[in-house]
Amino acid sequence: MTAFVARRLLFAVALVFVVSSVALLLTRLAPGDVTAELGPFAAPEEIARARARLDLDRSPLEQWALWLVRAGRFDFGDSFLYGRPVRGLVADAAGNTAILAVVALAVATALGIPLGIVSGSRRGAAAAIIRSVSLVCLSLPPLLTSLLLVFVAATTRWLPAGGMTSVETLDGGWGTWLADVAIHLPLPALALALPIAATFERLQAQSIAEALQQPCVTAATARGVAPREIIVRHAWRVSLRPICGVYGIAIGALLSGSFVVEFVTAWPGLGRLMYEALRARDIYLVAGCAAMGGLVLAAGMMIGDLLLAIADPRVREQESL
Amino acid sequence: MLAGAGALIVLVLVLRSPSSEEPAAPAIQRGGQVIASLRSEPRSFNRLVSRDYATEILTLLTQGRLARINRATFELEPWLAEAWESSADGRTHTLHLRPGVTWSDGTPFTADDVLFSLQAVFDPKAQSVLASTLLVGGQPIKGTAPDAQTVVLTYAAPSGPGLRLLDNLPILPRHKLQTALAAGSFVSAWNNTTPPSELVGTGPFVIREYQPGQRVVLDRNPRYWRRAPDGGALPYLDRVILEIVPEQNAELLRLQAGDLDLTSSELRPEDYVPVRAAEEQGRLRLIELGVGTDADAFWFCLKPEVKQGKDPRFAFVRQPAFRRALSHAIDREAFAETVFLGAAVPVWGPITPGNTQWFRPDLPRYAHNDAVATGELSTLELADRDSNGVLEDANGTEARFTVLTQRGIGTYERGTAVLREELAKIGVIIDVVPLEVGALIQRLLACDYDAIYYRPILTDLDPAGNLDFWLSSGSGHFWNFGQKTPATEWERRIDTLMLEQAASLDPERRRQQFGLVQQIFAENLPVLYFAAPRLYYAHSTRLRGVVPSVQRPPVLWNADSLSVTN
Repeated sequence: MTAFVARRLLFAVALVFVVSSVALLLTRLAPGDVTAELGPFAAPEEIARARARLDLDRSPLEQWALWLVRAGRFDFGDSFLYGRPVRGLVADAAGNTAILAVVALAVATALGIPLGIVSGSRRGAAAAIIRSVSLVCLSLPPLLTSLLLVFVAATTRWLPAGGMTSVETLDGGWGTWLADVAIHLPLPALALALPIAATFERLQAQSIAEALQQPCVTAATARGVAPREIIVRHAWRVSLRPICGVYGIAIGALLSGSFVVEFVTAWPGLGRLMYEALRARDIYLVAGCAAMGGLVLAAGMMIGDLLLAIADPRVREQESL
Repeated sequence: MLAGAGALIVLVLVLRSPSSEEPAAPAIQRGGQVIASLRSEPRSFNRLVSRDYATEILTLLTQGRLARINRATFELEPWLAEAWESSADGRTHTLHLRPGVTWSDGTPFTADDVLFSLQAVFDPKAQSVLASTLLVGGQPIKGTAPDAQTVVLTYAAPSGPGLRLLDNLPILPRHKLQTALAAGSFVSAWNNTTPPSELVGTGPFVIREYQPGQRVVLDRNPRYWRRAPDGGALPYLDRVILEIVPEQNAELLRLQAGDLDLTSSELRPEDYVPVRAAEEQGRLRLIELGVGTDADAFWFCLKPEVKQGKDPRFAFVRQPAFRRALSHAIDREAFAETVFLGAAVPVWGPITPGNTQWFRPDLPRYAHNDAVATGELSTLELADRDSNGVLEDANGTEARFTVLTQRGIGTYERGTAVLREELAKIGVIIDVVPLEVGALIQRLLACDYDAIYYRPILTDLDPAGNLDFWLSSGSGHFWNFGQKTPATEWERRIDTLMLEQAASLDPERRRQQFGLVQQIFAENLPVLYFAAPRLYYAHSTRLRGVVPSVQRPPVLWNADSLSVTN
């Protein structure tokens, strides 16, 4: 177990290093830089000052090396867009995204797995409807899903049409804040969760259909075990391996989906921060967000592997857990 | 072309003048809050060091100036200075400060604060972005204070705009910021992590809380100096909330849903129809702000040191006849209908009818006529010699150009599409390359482009405030910026006229001189303009006291007089 965790931690460090370094260098090498935010006709001295402040007057490699040294001290530089240290910005935003991602993943799991079991183990209208809805959810780009949900919320007034909290929370305590966040969560969480739920549903359906063909299931059927029990006790367990395997990727999908969803629904999370940073070429903010994204992705893959090991004894043996 | 649909939209909007639907003025209610949107975070709470729009709005809400330009009438109004006298040569101005004004923390506002603000804006260590807007004759404004209520400002040269320059200078509290200025840390003082209790002002509101990524909450400044016509205290509102909504479609949906009372900017042409529907349902009020003061522009890089001898097309691009031909080739009426869905007026220069004080309707106009365009091009020996639909000069150089524009802006995409279609009819071919704004600006500053389609914003309605655009040495003279000596005779003439105009104290002479400048510009067409948008704005029906302006922010500039009904 210790060796497994150590391997994964090393992988996480390597991933964070590579992702953030590549993000910084690519942002630097792309045409234009963040000083464009000063407008097309800013005074040359003002542009030069801003470039010096962000080390853009140095060579890309020199800037990268400087950034690495500072990052070793957990100083990730300052954001030009926000005028404050990247570390605090990324930490705050990652916390907000974590809330959103956990809820979205829970919703995706709660929707996708049971629906996949139904559609994979049955034939008929219900299975066909589930398949069709899943395909629609998979086909819709997150931008459209988000805008659609904002439109529904704005029209029906069932839910707030955006944001993470209301201004009323200013005078309230933690309880008020939590309740308010809970009201604001369904909209972005659904926008994020729907395509992932659809992925889970499709995988689960295919996987359970295959599991139902396994000899152990045939044997159980021959022994007269009830179909419901066969699915829950035997087939589902066997079918869980691909689902667990995809969890790590699902966390990556949550991160990439959050780019657009958080932007449209005004959720102050990591995806929106990264989107704005990339758009403005805010170099240190891009690198900071990428580092955090790499960390989250590594954590997601580790969780996926652990779930897989729990679900499948063969994996436990392979990983010496 | 989408001309028909566009015309219909505008017809509907124009026929139903929103102002005629204003209900009879009810008694103004005090209290309540409005929720407005911001599209981006404030980068700082210090306007002297940050030029972003969010910071500008917060400064309008929280800080005062000695005199302000009324955004609706464009007249100069006394503000923190209640009166002034100017010397006959226009170089010395004695301002009398309004008595009894205090900062929001109760500290008296005095002439020392004015001198401090001048010192801060011109201190090189402060790196103020406003310094260049307050130079007169290239020199800083000097200030002295004979007493606590009087300030004497001395200009190095006569200035046409005179005290209008003071609209650019928010007066900052000496007692809060002098330590930072002395320590050389003014550039980072009042950044967006500063506790709101430190941010004091003389404006109608004070910042109560900034929640990054979410909102800025401003409460009424109980010590605000201005009084309502009935003698009561201003502002009427108890609170202004600026919600940060980065996505424009979501912003519009939230406005329609009633989550927002107003937005920070005008509507896009494509938003008119849904907003009109919301107005008919009584959920929003749609108002016409007027013709915008800035128009989309199209220009070639005319920098000889970059193009001469390196780009054979420069031989004809540099000729005014070539640019006049392009101007003749564009049907501006159709352009307005297609690009702005009808909500625009044709224009022939950078000063649009929205700038009522300086617009001249009698400038040379280039009527849409492909035959005249072709005639102008033939004087440059441009002809379709190989019958491939593209003009060539005598050396076989084709009139084919790459036009850069900003990606993702609907009017730019439609505008360049119309240009491509119209210019192809006279044998001039353009290929459009949309770029991210950063890349576009990098290419612009390096003059690494054939042509650009973009909307540069003139920072001031008074031409003397835009010398960087008009003067050949200016950084905003974008077709050939930063010239050491004028590259052309007509630019030299404009330089002379503009410097005289900026220093003249005679308004009529200034108007005449600027008229001449516009005439020369229109004859030589370094930049082509086709249409200026009619600006529309929507706000919730509960908002009262709205005095719309074509300048941004269209409504919040007058926040102390806004109120809401229940």
